[in-house]
Order: sequence, then structure tokens, then C-alpha cells
Amino acid sequence: MSELTELPVTVAGTARRPLTAVLRSRSGLAGIILTGLLLVVAILSLTGVLPYDATAQDPVHRLAAPSASHWFGTDQFGRDVFARVAAGVANSSLIAVVAVTFATTVGTAGGLIGGFFRRLPDALISGLTNILFAFPPLLLALSLASVFTRTWFTVAVAIAVVYVPIFVRVTRGPVLSLREVEFVRAATSTGESRIAVMLRHVLPNLTSILVVQIALSLSWAVLTEASLSFLGLGTPPPAPSLGSMIFESRTLVSIAPWTMAAPGVVVVLLVVGLNLLGDGLRDVLDPRNRGTR
Amino acid sequence: MVRQLLHHSVVRRGTQMVVTLFGVAVFVFIMLRAIPGNQITAGLGTEAAALTPAQRAALESYYGLDKPLLTQFFGWLGNVCTGNLGVSSRSQQSVLDMTMHSLPVTIELAILSIVLGLVIGVPLGMLSASKPESPRDAIGQTVGLAGLSIPAFLLATALLSVLAQVWGYNPNGRVFAPITQDVLLNLQQMMLPAFVLGFGIAAPIMRTTRTAVLDVRSEDFVRTARAKGVPVRRLYVRHILGNALVPIVTMTGLQFGYLLGGAVVVEQVFSIPGIGRQVLLGIQQKEYAVVQSTVLVIAVAFVLVNLLTDVLYRVIDPRVRAS
Amino acid sequence: MSARTRAARGWIAAVASVAVLTLAACSSPTSSSTPSATTGKPGGSLVIGVTSDPDTLFPWKATQFQAVHLLENIYGTLTEFDKNLNVVPGLATSWDTSADGKTLTLHLRTGVKFDDGTAFDSASVKSSLDAIKNEATAAVARSSLSAVTSVDSTDASTVVLHLTAPDAALPANLATVNMAMLPAGATETALNTTPDGTGPYKLESRKPSQSITLAANTAYWGDAPTLASIEFRVIPDESSIVSALQSGNVQMAVFDDPLVAKTAEGPNVTVTKTPQLSYHVLQLNARRGALTDVNVRLAMQCAIDRQQVLDTAALGEGEVTGPITSPAYKSDPKARPCPTRDLAKAKEYLAKAGKSAGVTIDTIVSQGEYATSVNEAQNLAAQLAEVGITLKLEVLESGAYVDRWIAGDFDAAVALNGGRPDPDGMYGRYFTSTGNLNKVAGYSSPELDALFAEGKATADPAARKAIYTKISDDLENNAAWIWLFTSYTYTATATSVRGYTPMANGSLQSLRSTTVG
Repeated sequence: MSELTELPVTVAGTARRPLTAVLRSRSGLAGIILTGLLLVVAILSLTGVLPYDATAQDPVHRLAAPSASHWFGTDQFGRDVFARVAAGVANSSLIAVVAVTFATTVGTAGGLIGGFFRRLPDALISGLTNILFAFPPLLLALSLASVFTRTWFTVAVAIAVVYVPIFVRVTRGPVLSLREVEFVRAATSTGESRIAVMLRHVLPNLTSILVVQIALSLSWAVLTEASLSFLGLGTPPPAPSLGSMIFESRTLVSIAPWTMAAPGVVVVLLVVGLNLLGDGLRDVLDPRNRGTR
Repeated sequence: MVRQLLHHSVVRRGTQMVVTLFGVAVFVFIMLRAIPGNQITAGLGTEAAALTPAQRAALESYYGLDKPLLTQFFGWLGNVCTGNLGVSSRSQQSVLDMTMHSLPVTIELAILSIVLGLVIGVPLGMLSASKPESPRDAIGQTVGLAGLSIPAFLLATALLSVLAQVWGYNPNGRVFAPITQDVLLNLQQMMLPAFVLGFGIAAPIMRTTRTAVLDVRSEDFVRTARAKGVPVRRLYVRHILGNALVPIVTMTGLQFGYLLGGAVVVEQVFSIPGIGRQVLLGIQQKEYAVVQSTVLVIAVAFVLVNLLTDVLYRVIDPRVRAS
Repeated sequence: MSARTRAARGWIAAVASVAVLTLAACSSPTSSSTPSATTGKPGGSLVIGVTSDPDTLFPWKATQFQAVHLLENIYGTLTEFDKNLNVVPGLATSWDTSADGKTLTLHLRTGVKFDDGTAFDSASVKSSLDAIKNEATAAVARSSLSAVTSVDSTDASTVVLHLTAPDAALPANLATVNMAMLPAGATETALNTTPDGTGPYKLESRKPSQSITLAANTAYWGDAPTLASIEFRVIPDESSIVSALQSGNVQMAVFDDPLVAKTAEGPNVTVTKTPQLSYHVLQLNARRGALTDVNVRLAMQCAIDRQQVLDTAALGEGEVTGPITSPAYKSDPKARPCPTRDLAKAKEYLAKAGKSAGVTIDTIVSQGEYATSVNEAQNLAAQLAEVGITLKLEVLESGAYVDRWIAGDFDAAVALNGGRPDPDGMYGRYFTSTGNLNKVAGYSSPELDALFAEGKATADPAARKAIYTKISDDLENNAAWIWLFTSYTYTATATSVRGYTPMANGSLQSLRSTTVG
């Protein structure tokens, strides 16, 4: 789960029209469609237009098989599985987006500062990164998630902490080389402040690396949230989470297989969609891959 | 000169490792104490409310919770440096002893998973790379995508329930047999968890292989060899795979380090008494000594595996070798 | 961490069951075929699947479910419960109370030996009881001996307990494994590796967090134990235990989730359900905020349909209950104010409290301790919302929940609390002003103090029953808490297992006469 994407530094703007290019790549298109569809369902669930509420219990109709009224059947409390899966996708996406945003911001800042200023800041940041790397990731998230009163937000922060070091590593190297590139040196010598140089000249050149890393991290974040919830340390109930739905369904699988199949298939589709999207972006943004697909 | 440089980098690397491990120690120590509850409430639950102040004090002193935090920290770290990892007050077993039993289990599981991952991933990656954009590439890519996208806990749960409920086959329902005692049973018990983990690992290995092979294939010496009429199979095995080995080894090292602490979910579902479960149980029971020392052991192993990967990398990378 | 860290759940059930003792008479089978009462051939080996290792082997500190029921088979107590949970002789063959009720004389069984060969006698009893009373031991049953001022051994087989006041509950209190008799001079550390008891089985081997094996104690004073060995095999994941039962690797397991039990049922596995003394309750803290007003509490009492909570959260598997759950003293759930849901009445009470605009109550809920907690809380919140009472739910992990519960830091708490056969043992510690859990109970009154004192001093069963009915009524009329329902445990056994009787206190004591194969 710690696959680092190592992209060569791309100095001038790569891929003029990334979106069109991604749409043209087969996996990118598939990824966008899949993720888009799931997101629509998630948004529908948030707006409350779905026929059932994700947490409303209806014991009379418990463990009903999929039908016209309950598309994915009901669970042991008579809750509509489709509504729960949809809300679970919303929950997973929200946590993944918040976690990755946080990790990207903090990690990139760390990589920029470390790579650009070197010396003490770099030593400190690299030291911290090494420590976080040496800590087993799932155990780290798990311990962090149990420190504070658990809400979806603290879960997101716990996942973010695990991913911060990855973003530090991914950005620090390119920053180191960019620092020596002609136009950056030129900008520095014209007297622009170092922070301005960093933001105006270095950061934009990290975009393609970051975009690919973000897409891949989103899929890992969804998986991590699901694993944490499976362990009972993710999103607290009764809010539905795909991981805890799978956990709860394990004992039901012989009498009501849909309770496991629905969240199982959906979590896989969501991750597949995000992975395809990441692949598509990599195809477009990583010159090494061009022509090989 | 060269020697001095080498010496310098070894010292640097060593210092860095020590600093990292110290940081892990501080971090795990603080985090454990920040988690609500302690060993008293973990053991007694709500019944702890009925303790008199004197009883509570007696328990705190029994579990060593009455000492100042700094004393607890350096007391523990000092002991660890002399090889005393502490004692589990739950089983009265020394953490060293527990680790001697659980670490080999996890290492065995990690090795088996990596082997399975390589066995699935490398040929699949080569198959994919042999003809990009063809149906066989699509097959390889799809399997890779599945490996990346199916959560281990889902695959584990599904496999276990299907095999046990449909065929009544469940070697993991028997007492765990260490490989030194019963090889046959041990391998049966390890098979499913290793497959689940190996399937997940196969994906990045497959992708790395594919990219590496494609990269190497476009390089000059391969073109030359091909022009010279070196047979395709020999070309693949000798030249291409030989050169693609570097990224594969790096990836495998990364995955191995990750598995040491990352197999928790699978260990739990399949009742494998590995080191991940040891930490998990420790956290649940708030056995500070067990969690602290075990996490430190995992961190040491992780750091060593990384070091080994680096060394191996230097040994096999023709470019590094040449210079 | 997979298995959802649920191993931790052990203790609530445990706390429940340490104390929980009920008449097994009310156990009713879910399936047509009950475990056969006829016994098979002795000498078999039984494997029991459990989700976690015992957290201690020291009986005086054991509250976790696994630990308690394992240790009951290794250690002996002065009194015991029979299958119907009546107090019967154990290591004491008989006992008598003086006329003023202030001395209890115990006559000990002779010829009994500990596993290490030392003799059990009055010195072991005195040293054990003195150590339990000593606060430095941190024994969990210490408060059960609070009336005992001193213990004298008059001869090798007689012990006299001197009391400050009569204590009708004392003989029953001596029957829990937290009151186990240990050899004089045994230390906690030593016993944690090498238990030394007088029970029907003794520890043979242990692989920490994997398995514990007991072997028959051939020197046992009672009927020879029928199993040659019992292995408690740790399988952390409940559904993996079900798989192990189905594949025949494990022959017995105890579940508290009806759905898990249902999936375990099959051609080779029988499931029996046994009602429990532990009770699901919405604890109110009558010393905080709006809940100080009895009218607000009564409004909640009237706004809740308990059967609906039971049906929704626990699939209807259980019974609506009043405060006292032990059959001999059982509260009548119809005797409470608003025995059926009455929203008009609830609104009337709220108006009387001047809270017609609504109140908000901070409620703590534990996650993962027991299966139904969150769903109960959700249903309670939905029902109370209809009269304008908002339950603000705070779902906490076990460690955080326990910390808040112990500190009494909540307006209301959704809880599953342990019950005991004797109502004094069950509620004296909560609802007397000096009780050690009164801070958590959040309610006491001079009337209750007087009634509890009277109950302790009364030996006559009929008179006691009348007193505890008054206590139960007082608790409900003041809506001290909102009692909801009791649930079952489910014992799954392979068809080869014979002669096992589950008990309402969760005890596995009938293993001494069980056969397999």
C-alpha cells in the first residue's frame, strides 16, 4: 500500500489539456465514469431524495431480499441497504477527500520547505517522516483514531497523518532538483523572496506529480477507512460506512448474502474507479508512459 | 578517500536509524497514554468504578502507573537497551518471549505472501508488457487492478466463510501449528492468509514489472541484442528481467517492510498469532509495555529491511555496480 | 485489529455475568433438540471456542467473561450455586447464623487438597478472606465483605465471621469465583502462571492468546470430573468460531448475538438460549441539569415503548424488565408509571416541569462492547424526540466510555449492567447514599437507604421479597433510571456434547459432568 509514484521532474507545462487527454485515455474515461456515477449516488443520498433513510430502522421488514422497493434488500434492523451503501459512499468519499487534502497540503509544504531550504528544516522534516514511515501504517491510524472522540473528521485526520510522509517524499526529491534548474536560480538571483520563488516557480512544476499522487491516495484512503471501520475504529455508528457494513454482514452472509455483496461490490467499484482515474492521469502526465499504452 | 566516504555514510545512516527508532519510541509512548483508559479500566471495565481509592492506588502501583511519566519512559527504554522488553501482566510472559514466538510467524507469512505475490505478479507483468494494448495486457492489467482494489479484509472474510461453510474446510479452526512442529498443517493454515496478502502485493509487483520491462526494452542494449538475433526467451529472462530486477526488488522490500505491521487484519480473521495481533491485543488491554516494545521491534525490522533493500539494490543494479 | 477490537467486549458481558446469577429453570431452548441430558462416556476431550484469552488467572481480580468462567473450573468457593442457582455447600459443608445475625459459622470440608498438594483448612479460609478485605489486594469482591469485622479459625475445620450487622446476602456472596479460596501465602504473580485451586479441573498448559488446556483434577472432592481435558481455543473473530464449529474443530461456544447463534445452527450444532440477569438500561443522572426534576424523568419513562426498543435493537430477543431481574425477586414490569407508552402523559409531565419547549440530554453510548448499544440509543432518541426530548448521542469507544461512566460524567448513559441473584448485592451499591457506585447511579434517598438496610437485616424470604418490591416501586416511581429489557446468551454445542446445562449466570460449572464423543 505504499506504492510511491516516482515521476521525473517535468519542467515546462506537460500535457496542455490534461482533461481532454484523460478523457481520451481508456482507463481515465472508465475511471471518470465509474467514480462519477458513484458520486452522483452519494450526492443523491446526501440531498435526501432517496426513498429510504440510511439509519431508519424497520424491524418488520428486516433481512428482506432485494426487490423493487428495496433494491439491495434490507439488513438485520430492516434498514435499506441501498440507502446505506449510498450514504457509505458519501462518507468514504468525504473522509478520503478531507484526508488527502490535508495530507497533500501538509506533505507538500513539508517537501517544499525541506527540499528548498535544506539544513535544519530539512533534517527535522526528514526525521519526522522517517519516524512516521517506520510506524506500521494501519496501527498508526488505529491508535490515532482511538485518541480522540471519534467522528468522521478525526478518522480523516488519522488517515491523513499516515499519508503526510508519502507526500513529503514525493515532493522533496523534485524540489531538490528544481532548485538547481536555471530559471529557478535566475528568479532567486533577481532578488525575489525565497517563499515567492517557491510558490511561483517551484510549486507549479510539481502539479503533475501531485495530481497523480492525489488520485492514487484517494483510493488508498477509501481502503484505509474501510479497513479501520472493519476493525471498529472507523466512522462511528449509526452512520453507515462500507467497512463496518461488511463487518456486520459477516455473520449474515449465509442467510442474507446481499448484506455483504452490496457494500463489498461498491467499495471495490469505488476503489477501481479511483485507481483507473489515477492510471489515466499518470498516462497523461507522465511522459515515460506515453506511447506504451 | 573512498573508504572514508563509505565510513562516513555508514555512520550517518546509523545515526539516522537510531534517531528514527528513538522517535518511534517517544511517539508510541505518548500516543498510548493519550488513548482513553488504562490497564485498570481495560481489565475491570465499569467495575473499576467500585474500587476504593486505596484499591486503585494498589492497582496503579501493581501496573507501574504511579511513577512519573519520564521515569516510566526512560525506565522502559533503559530496559529495552539491555534486552529486557518488559513483561505482559496478562500472561506473565516476557515480551521478548512473546515476540520470539510471534515475529517468526509474521515473517513466515510475509515471505510466503511475497513469494506468492512474485509468482503471480512477475509473470503477469511480463505477459502484459510482452504485447502492450493486447488482450493479454488487458488480462494482466485487470488482475492487477483487482489486486489493488479488493480490500484484504473482504477477500479474507469471503474466502473463510465460503470454504468453511460450503466445504467444511477450515485449517485455521485448529490450534496454530508453528512450522517447526507440523509443516503440513502450518502450510495449510498459512495458505489462505498468504494468498490474500500475496494477491494484494501482486498488483504493485505486476505494475512495476510491466513498466520496468517496457522501459528496459526500449533501451539501446536490448535493441542491439535483438538485432544480433538473441532468442526472444533468452532475451527476456537474461537481459530484460535481469535489468528490471532493480525496481522489483525495491518494491518487494517496501512491501515486506509494510507487511511486518500491516498483516493485522488478516492475522485476526485467520487467527494467526503474529506480531500484528500482539500489538492489537496490547492496545485493547492497554498493556503499555507490550505495545511499546512490539512497535519498536516492528520499527527495527522495518528499518533493517529498508537497509537490506538498499544494499541489495547496490549489489544488483548494473549501473551502480559499474561505477 | 481486525476482529474489531471486539475482544475488549469481553468484560461488560463479564461484569454482567460475574455477578449475574439466575434460576436456570427459565432457560428455554431455541431449537427442538436440547442438549441431551443423558451422559455419554467419560474421558473425552472438549474444545471450546472463545474470542479472547483470559486477561488474568488471578481469581480475586477477574471480571472478564473468559477469565471468570475458566477460573470457576479451577478454583473452589466456600458456597456454590446449583443448576437452579440456589446456594449449596462448596468447600463449606454447612453454615449457621447466630440469633442476633452477627456471627456466621462455617464448617469446612475435610481432606481437600490444593493442586500443589497442600491441605485446604481454616487457615486458608482466614488468609483468603483477610486478603480480600485488605485494600492493598485490590480484590473486586471486597465490598461484599464490608459487614465482616474479623475472621477467626476456631479449629482446622471451623471458621467464624464476625459481622457489624446481619447480612442476609453473605452466603450467596461467598459463591462467586472472586471469593475463591487460595492457599495461604500464594502470590498473584505465582498464581498467574501456575493456578493452585481445589476445583474439578486444573491448568495443564497454556499458549498465551492461543489456547488454554485444563485437565481433570483426580483429587477433586466431589464426583470425578467427566472430561479428561477441556481446551479453550482463542479464535478472535466470532464468525471464525462459527466456521470452526461447522467444520468440527470446536465443539462448543457461547455467543451473545442472536444472529451469530442462528448462523451457527446446523445438522451437527445445537443452540440453546438462556435468559440473563444482566439488564439493558438508560441510566439517568438525577443530579445533573434537567434530570434533577423528577417530572422530566417521568416524562421520559412515559415516552418510551420498551417493547419497541427490544424489537428494533435486539430483534425481539429478550424480555421487557423492571429493576430486579432475579426470578425470586423479579419486579413486575407492569407496575411502573405508564406501563405502556403514553405520549399525552409524557407531555403533561414535561409541562409540569416547565419544559414544554423541550430538553436536551447528553447521552453516552459505548460502541463494540455489546452488539445492540448503538441501535438501542438510536431508537430511544427517535421515541423521545416525539415529545420534544432530544437525546444528544455521544458514541464512544470502550476506554473512553468507561472513563466517562466511572466519573459519572453524563446526563444519561445507555448501558448493559450485570445483575445478581440477591437484590441487595445488585442494587445496594448503586442506590444507597454510601454505595460505592452511587456517584454513577446519580440517585439516592433516605427512603431507599432505610429500605436497603431493612432488607439486609431480614432473613425471612417472604419478608425480604416484600421489601425489595417496595424498593423496585420506589425506583420506578421516581424514574431513577429507565429499565428496558433483559437478553439471552446462546450456547452452541456439537451433537457429540452431552450433559451440558447452561446456567443463567453464564457459569460453565456443568462442564464437570459433561461428556463428549
